[in-house]
Amino acid sequence: MEALSSLFAGFGVALQPMNLLWALVGVVLGTAVGILPGIGPALTVALLLPVTFDLEPVSAFIMFAGIYYGAMYGGSTTSILMNTPGESGSMITALEGNKMARAGRASAALATAAIGSFVAGTIGTVGLTFAAPVLANFALSFGPAEYFALMVLGFTTISAVLGETPVRGLVSLFFGLTLGLVGIDLQTGQARFTLGLPQLLDGIDVVVVVVGLFAVGETLHVASTLHGEGFITKVRGWTWMTRADWARSWKPWLRGAALGFPIGGLPVGGAEIPTFLSYWLEKRLSKHPEEFGKGAIEGVAGPEAANNASAAGVLVPLLTLGLPTSATAAIMLAAFQQYNLQPGPLIFISNPSLVWGLIASLYIGNFMLLLLNLPMAPLWARLLEIPQPLLYGGILVFATLGTYSLNNSVFDVGLMYLIGVVGFFMRRFGFPVAPAIIGMILGPMAEQQLRRALAISQGDASVFFTRPLSATLLSLAMLVLVVPPLLRFLRASRGSSAR
Amino acid sequence: MFADLALALSVTALGACLAVGSTGISLGTGYDRIGPRFFPYLVAMGLMLLGSWLAVAAIRGNRATPVAEENDEPDLQMNWPINWSALGYLALALLLNLALMERAGFVISSSVLFWLAARAFHSRRPARDAAVAVLLSILVYFAFTRGLGLILPLGIFNRLF
Repeated sequence: MEALSSLFAGFGVALQPMNLLWALVGVVLGTAVGILPGIGPALTVALLLPVTFDLEPVSAFIMFAGIYYGAMYGGSTTSILMNTPGESGSMITALEGNKMARAGRASAALATAAIGSFVAGTIGTVGLTFAAPVLANFALSFGPAEYFALMVLGFTTISAVLGETPVRGLVSLFFGLTLGLVGIDLQTGQARFTLGLPQLLDGIDVVVVVVGLFAVGETLHVASTLHGEGFITKVRGWTWMTRADWARSWKPWLRGAALGFPIGGLPVGGAEIPTFLSYWLEKRLSKHPEEFGKGAIEGVAGPEAANNASAAGVLVPLLTLGLPTSATAAIMLAAFQQYNLQPGPLIFISNPSLVWGLIASLYIGNFMLLLLNLPMAPLWARLLEIPQPLLYGGILVFATLGTYSLNNSVFDVGLMYLIGVVGFFMRRFGFPVAPAIIGMILGPMAEQQLRRALAISQGDASVFFTRPLSATLLSLAMLVLVVPPLLRFLRASRGSSAR
Repeated sequence: MFADLALALSVTALGACLAVGSTGISLGTGYDRIGPRFFPYLVAMGLMLLGSWLAVAAIRGNRATPVAEENDEPDLQMNWPINWSALGYLALALLLNLALMERAGFVISSSVLFWLAARAFHSRRPARDAAVAVLLSILVYFAFTRGLGLILPLGIFNRLF
């Protein structure tokens, strides 16, 4: 009940007219920048961070909450319409969403994403309000071995589910792991695979890889398959969500939220694993599994809900432990530090009006986004009618701008283009690109945990199998990789013996 | 099949390079049990195994098929020959952009990038493209530098302001 009264106090702060206005400005700005192709939520928040500096901290963070959710929403809009996600969390949304958009169902895809985001974002924020301390406690029981096992589970699920065969997914994953190795080793301070280039000492920025593989890779791929004059994706009619769409959407929304918040709340959470698990789950549970890969609405509703719920979940370790687990959260931590605030258990005591004002404005921002974006969905869908030459010209300009602005470095831009060329080959030869991003983000974390676990156990590798939680997670990871081919094999042999 | 094999071999080669590169990482003086080389070795081994697997599959005639993720319009995939002129224009656009960005400034390099990219996509209206390219670049420049406080290279306009 303590949480509830604190929340009411928070609403008292957030509902002041000036703060409401800042929340609205944040939501609009976040959506407007997030919707630019190739610029994802992390980059949007980073770009808009300086805008909030002139405000007093409480107002700044309220505006920031608006930017955060607005950027998430804008990011999924472009993912759906143009297949150029700027962050790993919206990759999965793009899978089915873009297929729907190309089939003339852009408005329905955007609507189920908007409502799903609202539902899941609200559930996630409620979860943040009440479960933060509990989750933080549970996460404290995780040792390095458990973290490592959890990441291995993430690796195998992503590789097994995306792509025709696990091998292709694994190749992509290992490419990402390779990219993640570049830079200074955190534990010993030794440079690894920097090719003698000082620009690589800090490692490769995730944004460089995401924008390269997606925006540039996609542009090259589309250009290489052009036949004669470029064509424009025609938006066939405005099909709003039908009764059947609603019936097929509401359960994925809730399931997505149920996956997204708790996993996002773990100190290794992030948005990748839950969006991914949600996609996998919806594909298993759907009555129309044949539609997956061709534009199944469950495949938009579930992952998008999971994405937004995890965005709320990510704030749990950020606020309670000061631990950022996604690129966006890392930038938010930078925002706190600009005000000389250190997130952690103490901030709830030292700055309650700020923390609870922030949480309250997450509810408000989410609601504003729904009001703003439902009527706008058909308008956003018209972005598809931009002639292809101008659209891809614009994508390249924004991709370049976003990458350059990270470190004001032309080197980054060149690296991003190079990775774009790799992305082109991956598309050409049927390798899914998403596992590469997962490998790149989780790889370094997995390595740290592996080494930490082995250091604690004095080099005894059995630690991963003797701790029950870690053993369970690793067995699950194994099952995910082994069971689907095994089932296929059994089914095939049964089919041939029946004949 | 040739291309598939070449790809498989390059995955293996990447793994091999990684393995060789790992031997050159100095170990440092940590109390670290397994050191900074262990994980790179794991990744290198994985890449080499996967590359060999792909190579075997390619030799057995297992051609690359588009994954479900991209498999939207089957006629757009694989079957069509690569449009080399489009890729050529894009390559030129990207390289010119890298060369011009800090020398000529963001507005000029972006305009060139945009215009050449439009050419790559077979635009038939070069004048319109040029107008959009310049307007967009100027608009973006001012929106992001004045509005959001980014620093974008001014290039040759440096002397004017």
